[in-house]
Order: sequence, then C-alpha cells, then structure tokens
Amino acid sequence: MSHYPFNRRQLFQTVGAGLYSAALTDLFTRDVYATNTKPSPPLTREFDLQPRPPQRRPQAEAVIHLFMNGGPSQMDLFDPKVELDRNHGKEHFENIAGEVEFPEQAGAIMRSPFKFKQHGQSGMWVSDIMPHLSEQVDKISLIRSMYTSNLTHEPAIYKIQSGSEFIGRPTLGAWVTYGLGTENQNLPAYVVLDDPLGLPVNGVDNWQSGFLPPLYQGTRFRATGSPVLNLKPQFEEPTRVTDLERDLISRLDRIHRRERQFRPELDAKIASYELAARMQVAATDALDLSQETAATHKLYGIDQETTSSYGRRCLIARRLIERGVRFVQLYINSQIWDNHSNIGESLKNACERTDKPVAGLLFDLKQRGLLDNTLVAWGGEIGRLPIAQLPADKDPAKAGRDHNKNAIVAWMAGGGVKGGYVHGATDDFGFAAVEDKVYVADWHATLLHLLGLHHEELFYERNGLKERLTGVEPARVVREILA
Amino acid sequence: MISRTSPYRTHTGRYSAVTYCRLLVFTALTAYVFFLYENRGVADTSEPPFFETTIQPIFSKHCTDCHGPEVQEGGLDLSSAKGLLQGSESGPTFRAGNAEQSTLFGLIQRGDMPPAEEEQLSEAEIEAIRIWIESGAPFQDAKLGDSGPTQHDVIPILLLRCVVCHGGRSQEAGLDLRTRESLLRGGKSGPAVVSGDPQKSLLIQRIHKQEMPPRRALVRVSVKPMEATELTVLEQWIAQGLPKSDLQPDIANQVADPLVSNEDRRFWSFQSPVAAPLPEVPLETISTSIDSFILRSLRNVQLHFSPPATRSVLVRRLSFNLTGLPPTPSEVEQFLADPTPDAYEKLVDRLLASPRHGERWATHWLDVAGYADSEGSQNEDRVRPHMWRYRDYVIRALNQDKPYDRFLHEQLAGDELTEYENVETIDDAIYDNLVATGFLRTAPDRTFAAITAFVPDRLEVIADEMQIFGSAILGLTIHCARCHTHKFDPIPQRDYYRLTAIFKDGFDEHDWLKSQGPRTLNFVTTPERTAWQANKEQVEQEAAVVQEKITAEENEEKKKQLEAELQAINQRHQPEPRIRALWSRGVPSPTYVLLRGDYKNAGRLVGPGVPSVLTDGKTPFMFAPPWQDAQKTGRRLALAKWLTEPSNPLTARVMANRIWKHHFGRGLVTSLDNFGTTGASPSHPELIDWLAVEFVRRQWSMKSLHRMLVTSTTYRQSSTITEELAATDLEGTLLSRMPLRRMEGEVLRDALLQISNRLQHIPYGPADSITEMEGGLITTEPRQGGWRRSVFALHRRTKMPTILENFDYPQMGPNCLDRRASVVAPQALHLLNNALVSEWADSFAMRVASEVGEDPAKQIRRAYQIALGRLPREEEQQIGLSLYDDCKKQWLESGVTDAPQRAFKNVCHALMNSAAFLYID
Repeated sequence: MSHYPFNRRQLFQTVGAGLYSAALTDLFTRDVYATNTKPSPPLTREFDLQPRPPQRRPQAEAVIHLFMNGGPSQMDLFDPKVELDRNHGKEHFENIAGEVEFPEQAGAIMRSPFKFKQHGQSGMWVSDIMPHLSEQVDKISLIRSMYTSNLTHEPAIYKIQSGSEFIGRPTLGAWVTYGLGTENQNLPAYVVLDDPLGLPVNGVDNWQSGFLPPLYQGTRFRATGSPVLNLKPQFEEPTRVTDLERDLISRLDRIHRRERQFRPELDAKIASYELAARMQVAATDALDLSQETAATHKLYGIDQETTSSYGRRCLIARRLIERGVRFVQLYINSQIWDNHSNIGESLKNACERTDKPVAGLLFDLKQRGLLDNTLVAWGGEIGRLPIAQLPADKDPAKAGRDHNKNAIVAWMAGGGVKGGYVHGATDDFGFAAVEDKVYVADWHATLLHLLGLHHEELFYERNGLKERLTGVEPARVVREILA
Repeated sequence: MISRTSPYRTHTGRYSAVTYCRLLVFTALTAYVFFLYENRGVADTSEPPFFETTIQPIFSKHCTDCHGPEVQEGGLDLSSAKGLLQGSESGPTFRAGNAEQSTLFGLIQRGDMPPAEEEQLSEAEIEAIRIWIESGAPFQDAKLGDSGPTQHDVIPILLLRCVVCHGGRSQEAGLDLRTRESLLRGGKSGPAVVSGDPQKSLLIQRIHKQEMPPRRALVRVSVKPMEATELTVLEQWIAQGLPKSDLQPDIANQVADPLVSNEDRRFWSFQSPVAAPLPEVPLETISTSIDSFILRSLRNVQLHFSPPATRSVLVRRLSFNLTGLPPTPSEVEQFLADPTPDAYEKLVDRLLASPRHGERWATHWLDVAGYADSEGSQNEDRVRPHMWRYRDYVIRALNQDKPYDRFLHEQLAGDELTEYENVETIDDAIYDNLVATGFLRTAPDRTFAAITAFVPDRLEVIADEMQIFGSAILGLTIHCARCHTHKFDPIPQRDYYRLTAIFKDGFDEHDWLKSQGPRTLNFVTTPERTAWQANKEQVEQEAAVVQEKITAEENEEKKKQLEAELQAINQRHQPEPRIRALWSRGVPSPTYVLLRGDYKNAGRLVGPGVPSVLTDGKTPFMFAPPWQDAQKTGRRLALAKWLTEPSNPLTARVMANRIWKHHFGRGLVTSLDNFGTTGASPSHPELIDWLAVEFVRRQWSMKSLHRMLVTSTTYRQSSTITEELAATDLEGTLLSRMPLRRMEGEVLRDALLQISNRLQHIPYGPADSITEMEGGLITTEPRQGGWRRSVFALHRRTKMPTILENFDYPQMGPNCLDRRASVVAPQALHLLNNALVSEWADSFAMRVASEVGEDPAKQIRRAYQIALGRLPREEEQQIGLSLYDDCKKQWLESGVTDAPQRAFKNVCHALMNSAAFLYID
C-alpha cells in the first residue's frame, strides 16, 4: 500500500526490511483487530512498525496535524457573529459564570475586532487576518461545532491528543502508527516538529505512547541542526574510526548471537544498530531544504522572517510525508493562540506567523498530487468566550478572550474530506456548539476513519480491557464532511 | 440486603421525577387511550396494564434468574416493583411514558437482553412492556411510582455545590449544609429551609437569585453553580416537608451478597492459597522446594533442568539481579576462587546484605507505586519537594527486610499505627509510618490549582490511587468497576465505592487537601527537626546581629558590605523539613455510588468494605479508631490488616509472584497486575500457592524469599536454548532454562557509571537535579567527580533523563506493573553518539590503563573483566586487538598525540555498546 513508491524507491531501494522483521505480523494483526468481546489472555507480544493494511479502504494514508495549541478564537477567525456586534458592551457574565476561568477579569460581550468576508467558490467566511488561507478555503472542511470537556489547557490538550484529560494514554499519532505501521523503516513513523523556541504546553507528553510500547511514540525532529537527539556523534572522531568501531560492535554482537540460538531480540539489537546508521542518512536528507527551489521556499514563507520558522516545519512535513512517514505533527511555541489580552494584536500576530505557511502547504500538497491521500488537520484544544477578558486596568482596548470548552473551531483538508464545506454551528454568541455537535472523540473517530481504521476496532488490551483512543463512550464519525 | 429505597432519583434520572411523571402520565395516558382504541383486539381494555399483573410475570419468566433478589447482575432486581424502581447501576430502568428513552426497553428491543443464548421475549411480551411504559408505567400500589426525594437525594447536591463553605471545615455564616438537621438549624440568618415552603426557604432564595454559590468566588473554591435540575430536586424535597429516609449505608451483612455468588468465589485466585504437598522428585536433583514443582512440570514433558550456568555467569546474573550493578572483578575472583561448597550461598548473603540491594529493588516497588518527584498533569509539572523521603523509606525498608505485612500496614495506614501528634519525640519508627503513606500520594495530580481542583478532577486522583492500590497490592483491576460493574470479574460497582469509602478519611472529594503544601506534615524525626530549628535560630540570631549593625552603620560602603554579609547568612536558611503524607482527617463525607461514574449522578449510599468476592459476602468490614480518643476512623488500618491476614487470597500470591518475576523474568502468573478472570492462568498453579503460603510462613520476609528463589537449581540453570528446549519450551513457560535479559534503563546507566569508575555511593536524601541540554537531551547533574545511582535522580515526569527514557523508563500513568524491553534505534544512537557515554568510555579506558598499564592485550582482558565479569575469548581478544590497531593507525594519521589511548577508548566504547554487555544471561 505504498503511496509514493517512486520517491521512496529512488531513495531507499537498497534498504532492507529494517527493524524487527520477525514474522509476527499475523499474530499482531489478529491482536489489534480482533473483535471478540472476551479478551484473550495476555500474550508475549512483539511489536513492530511494518506497514499494515488498515481495516477498510483508507481515504488518506498519512496525516499532517497542525496543532494550534492555545485555543484559536472561533468568533474572530471562522465563525462571524452578528449578535456580538449588536450586543457589544452588554453584561453577560452571570449567564455563563460556571464556564469562566477568571471571573474577576470577566468583562462584557465583545465583538470581533476583525472583518469577515466570504471566500472561494464555497463562499466560506474567514476573517481578514487569514488572507492566504482564504484563498484555499475550497480545499477545507470547516467544523464550527466542536467542543471538549475541560477549559484548562493541560487537561484539554491531553484530551485532544489522547482522548483523556489525564496523562498516561497513547496519543493520536501513537494510535495511528500502532494501527498502520509506517512505510519508511529508516525514518520514525511518527515525527514531531516542535518549535525550536520552546516546547508546547504539556511538553513531550504531547507525543507519548502511554501504555502502548514506546516504539509508537513521536520522535522529535528539530528543524535546524541535527534533527534527532544523538543522531550524530557528539564528539570529535575521524569517520573511519567511527566506522571501525561500529564494525567491531557488529562482529562482537554476531559472536554473541551465534552462541544464543532462538533469541530474536538479539537479531533486533543488531538490526537496531543498522537502522541507526541508515537513519542518520535518511533524516539528514529529509531535512535538507536546500534541495527545494527558491519558489517553494517562497511559497511557504521561508524567505520572510515572520513565517520562516513555521514555514520550514510545514515544508519539512511535506518532505516527510513524501518519504512515507505516517504521522507528522507540527507545534508552535508560546501559546500564540491563547489570546487572553489584546486580541486585536495578538491574534493577528499568530495568524501572521502561520497563515502563509499553512496555505502554502495546502497549495503545494495539491499541486504535487499529495493532498489526495494526505490528511491535513488544523485546530487547537479549546475555543474562546464571547465576553471580554479585561486587564487589571479594565481597559477594553487591551481586552482578550478567556478559555471556553463549549465551542472549538477546526478544519480538515485532503484525503477523503470535502472541500469548501462548513459543518455545524454555534449559538448566536458563538459561546457553545449547538448544531451537529462534534465531540473530541468524534473528531478522533473521523480522523481514524479517513485512515481506514475503525475507532472501536483499533484497540489495545490492558487489564482485561480493550483500550481505545475514543474510550468507552460511543463516538461518531462526522460523515457529513466526508467526500 | 439493605439498599437505597428512595426510588425517586433512580427512576427519573436528573429530572424532577414527580413533575415529569405527572406530566407524562397525563399525556401518555391520553395516548394510551387512543392506542387502546386503535388496538381493541389486542389488549384487554378493562383495566390499565399494571406492573404487578402484566409485566412482573414477564420479568419472572425471562429476567429474574440474573436480575432477581439473589443474583442482581448490574445491581438490578426485577423481581419486584421496588427493585425495578430502584434502578440499576446504570441509573433508572425506565422513563414513564417514553419507552424509546427507557434503558430497559431499549436493551430488550435491540435483543441485547436477555443474552442471545437465553430464550428471547416474544413480540407480544415486548409490546406489553412498551405499552406499560408508554401508559405511564402504572403500579397497583399507586404510592410506589410517586414517592418523593429524601435527604439522600439532596445531600449529594449540597456536598457538590455548598459544603466547601458551609460544611465541616468552614461554616460561613454559621451554616452547615451537610445534614437534614443542620439545614433546619440553619445559620446566622436563621434556618436554611422552611419545611413545606421552598419559596420561603433562604437556601432556595439565595440560589435562585444566583447569590449562591457566589459567582465570582466559584473558581477560588472550585465549585460550579447549581444546575436547574438539582435545584428542582431541592425544591421538591422542601415542598414535600423534608422527607427523611432512615436508610443505612449499603454494606455486607448477614444476607448473602446478591451481586457476587459463591460460584464466583470459587475462582482459583479468590480462594485462600493452600500449600499442596511437595511433588516427589529425586532429591539429589534439586536444591530448594520450589525446584520440585518446576522439575515435575519439566518431567511431564520429558525435560530436565538445563545444566547449571558457569560461575562467572552466575555471579553476574546474581549481582545485577540483587543489586542492579555488575560484579567488580575482585568480587568475581573471590567467588570463582572460593572452594567451599556454600560459596554460592555466601555470595547470595553478601549481596542481600549490601545497601545496594535496597536501592535496586526499590525501583521495582516504586514502579508499582507510581513514584515521581513531580505532579504531572499541568504544564509546569511542579516538583514535589518532599517526595524523596518516601523513596528513601522504600530503600530502607527493603534493606532492613521489613516484613511485607508491616510494609503494607505502614504504607496504607501509617498514620493510624501510632500516635504522632501528641508525642514528645518523633522517633524513626513514627517518622517511617508517616513517610510510608506517601504510597497513597503518588498519582499525577493537578488539584494544586483551583481551576483544576473541581470534584471531577479530585475523583480522577482518587481513581488513580485506587488503580495503584488495586494493581500493586490486590492484583485486581478494581478501578474498572468505577463506572459500571466489572465486565469480567465479579466486582460490582458498589465494591469500588465501598473501597473508596475506606480511604475517604484521606481522600474525600468534598473535603480536599490540594496537592503540594497542604498535603504535608512536619513530623520529621526529632533530631532532624531540632537540627533544622537550631540552624534556623542560629541564622536568625546572626542575621539580627548584622541587621543591628546595618541600622547603626552610617558609612554607605560598609553598609553595603554588611548587607552582603546578611544576605550570605540568610542563604543558610534551610527549607522546613516536611513529609508528603496521607492522614486521617476525622469524619469523612458519606459515600454514594456514582452512576456511570458521573459525579453529578449519585446513586445508593454505601459504607466501607472490601471486594465481596474476597470475603464470604456476609461479614461486615469491621473497623474502629486505632486508639482511645483517636480522631481517626481506623478504616485503612483495618484494610491493611485484612490484606495481610494469612487467609487473604491475593496479597501474598501477588507479591510472591512479583518477586518471582524479577528473578525469573516472567511471573508464574504473567499478568502481574491482574489475577482476575481475564488474567493469565498460573503456569504452575500449585507452586504459586505453595510460594504464597511459604512467604507468609516466613513472616513475610522478602529477603528470605529472595534467598530461597536464587539458591534454587532452577535459578542456577544456564540460559542456553537448545534445539530440544526450543521444540518443547520455546517461550520458557516451564522454566527449562533462565531467560536472557536486557538491562533496564537505570541498571544500564548505573552499570556504565560503575565500570567507568564514576559511580558514587552516597545513599538517600533529596533527588539529584537534572539538566536540559540544547535540543532537549536531559541528563542528571554530576556531583564532584561523578554521579549517584539512577534511583536518586530527580524523577520529574516531564524531564526524565534521556538515557532512562530511551531504555524504556515507563510513563507513570499512574503506575507501571511490568516494564517492556523495546529494541529501537534511538537506543543505539544514544549509546553510540551521546557525549556523556563517550566521556564515560574515556573514564573506563583510563581506569583500565591505571590498573594494568598500556599493553593493549592486557587492557582488553581487563576491560572484559570489568564490563562482563569474564575474560575475552580468543576470538574476541583477536578482533579487539585488531580494531585497536586499526583505530590507532587512523588516530595517528589524524595527528593526535594520544592515539593509543583514543584507540583503546574505542574498544571500551564498543564494549559498552555490545550485546554481551547489555544482556544478562
């Protein structure tokens, strides 16, 4: 089921099966997808990253998750509300008191400081701080009616990443690679492109594998310098010496192996050292943006200071997907979408850093024919309130918006998703999703569905329970956005 | 069985039953009449379809075998109107007037109930049930459908919304809203309620006006406003004259438990272990009793023990196993040279007596306890500055060979073992008791901030602690019963809540101690406290003297000097020594079952109890304050004592199995945390029971158990898998040889440090801080000249040392029962390329040179002795030497002056990366 055979063959035709090629796929497959209700006794299971066919025909084969942590403001970006204009300045706090994190800072209803216009053939409303995405709206399905269960960043981020408000469960990317393996054994299956300026809220927990084997956790690639921890020797040594030493390790390990029959883990140990060597080459190559044209750099905004950092990550994401990486996740530091104050400026800045790179990515994926089987998902963990959040001096000009768990805006584009479509609606003030509501678990189920996985059939047995990304409550695939 | 009798909430859920019923009864009756008119031929029109006449016979025929008075699966009894109205653990069974929205009807209609293998209801029967519900679900005994709320419908609401300010700890305006009586008594403004008149009741007025709970204070006290449905219940209750139910908490009593059968109790692990007679095997082939069990199973498949491992393999295996460190060359030599017949036993005793033993085995226990030095959950991942005392407690306890029963008593109920508040001296024992309760304070916890300390947040912390307790000690997945009866084990939902009731005096979601500061006590040992106090006074005194001088000094220059001096003095202040602990806080809130685990959906009132399946189901859980005048419930102490009764089915089995696992690589029961029906069957059923009994017989001595296991013939076998063994016992289930094991992260790091002479044995005390390097690599900060063992590194959840993470240090979510040994490329990259590992290889090389000089052949032999506890084979020596020569040549060409040293470092570095080093035979 390779989807970009040409590129990969070109690059990696000499590469063998890679790590852990033990013929256990059969056992593994049965284990993941079995649907009998009584769990089987724990097996001595082996896990690998070999590509596996999904349960049903996939629409997308890879994911780029543009995680906009902080809580992008729905009513200032994608969900215009006349009532906010009409009622601007009216008190509203008492009606939503239980849903406000900072009651002492709660102000009156606040209209959006931005202008909205309709775009594309679909006529989708987008505010004027996303001029580049506005040109790509016919590629996206917008969900205006998402909601979550907690209004605080940490639990809400755990929730959107792992389905639970608490630490310790596998993240979306881990589930996907657990279910599908990966196409390129020389690169990690699940790559995280975090911001060189700092980790997001919840740090490395964002890409943990929880109770799944660590094999499935995200691997951080840095956009500059050496992309992976310890990828290159951190000490001075002639290459020839390094090679000689590795050769010695390999020979010693083969002697050791020879005397210990029936120990597949020793084969795996030897293979992991070979993979490490190949990964040095493959990762370095994937991150070498000098192979791209100036026009491409420009398309992603890499030529401009404001957009350079995020643009690089977007372009790297495309290059990784091209090479068969299953799941790429992009982060941006310092909570740029968490606009508690001065939303007129701070939200605009957030858009300036990301709008062009994101639009460039969509355009580029499309022109290369990659968008058909790549799913791009954009969104954060919470939304924001219709009332103002005031600074200490109560100056409404410096107002922002506080957290809101009842309405989140998000979009998907690419493999299997309708273009130019708007799903669901919030109430008159944009405070809460009211029509065609999409819970976080529904969003997860939809994403898995597009990859050919069924959220109830993708599970991991633990403590006699079948653990799933979507948990025990029923989840619904948002069929309306499917192409 | 005593149960909640108020049918009010259970049959209508969150809506006001009475209003709802009446309304629906009216509309539904209209519909019913119409229906009857339309279906004259089908139904008897002479009287309404009463439950007793129409429905009860159907239920008796099809349902009451599983949902009757004796067996109440899912907490449901369909044998009577009362049982039906009481609902199940999923809440109400039906909604009068609306069959479509009635759980029970839905299950029947979809064919989910009765289960497929049972006789199904006929269409006419299903239709009759539908009609009955649609007609408003009438009962002959009309009162049944119409009983109103009682105080037990109201108390959970008040607990949730009000008692944080008007309860036990704080009674603002003199008001306590915890009981019916205290509501009537009221506060400064008079009674909170006027019986029969909600509108005149202050309580209702204040809530209606949205004055209470005060909107701007909500977040500060972590409370949400009262919901409209809750207010309606409150109003109904007042309107009807505050009806009182004398309902007692649901606990085990003389009547047989309807939710757990004696059949359930017959499962092997729910019965007390009994030691079977030792199997008869030729005595000369075995060393200890356990061997006879193993040998019998082997002989059953025509196998025998594998030959014994060589002495050098044994000493390495044993050393890693008991101390987590490689044997030093002199230890190896000593053992190899010891001609006495009990040389091996002496080695075992020496290693068990080593302080390194507790440090190694503490890691195993800290894993199951879910130890971490930080809160997790929130981004800042706040450090728990006092948690290390618990880590030290575990190390000390294991080194002292504290009996496992005592070990559990202290960790579960140390605060109830002895008085600590009113004593002159806090000695080591009292201190240990309190520190030990840190076991109950390990779960990730975000409740230190008000915005994440709401009742549901607290319930998650409690659930995590119950999961830790269940998996670590009971070997049961009891937390699965939080939202519904356990899917596979006979653990009803109420057993989960009974268990939480035992812990309620420490974990009370309505009387919560936020994490961090409030969770600590200052009862450190008197010498430690005195020393701290003395230092504090000394510093204050010195500071006062300098302060005086500063005030008197006029010369600016000198003043500045003095101020600097003052600052230096003040820096000698030490943080107050405190203990992160859990302690009984007096009278806990009542415990209600939370239907579907929903904190807004309280079900029946339950009292403290242990899982029924582990008891006869009739004997109530007994507890009493531990000493006269103790302001403690004694519940946890009673739990701890129950756990460590020799007849307890699980405690000894679970721990003996865990100890077994760490010696033999796999548990006799491979699911270490799950001895329930979905857990693995024991590979040697008689052995696990014999071992459990023996463990208790040896007064729960863990060292004694270790000694028995490691001196067995089984343990001393070679790890080689021959063709014959591969054919019969590839998985190693039969213990036909020892396993091959990869070092755990901590062991690897400690071993690397030891062989390179950089390991410092400075036990105990605050954790060693960590450094985050550019790019996110995390290492432990070195001390002068080296590092301490990994167990002393700061275990901050979000910043674990990279080497540990790469080698499968688990995420404590909330604990870890069984680590994996993955084999992935980042491990290879770490050992090959990491700067610190390279530095350690340099140290290793220098150490070797200092011990044997510069002759490469000698050096290689010595390096093998240090790293692998043996000499290199000829082949290994040869390729080692040839690498040395080749590397030296390359280094010389590169122009360095110390080519021989660098080349030998390459050999050392290769050894550190080799499978022979990383794996233990």
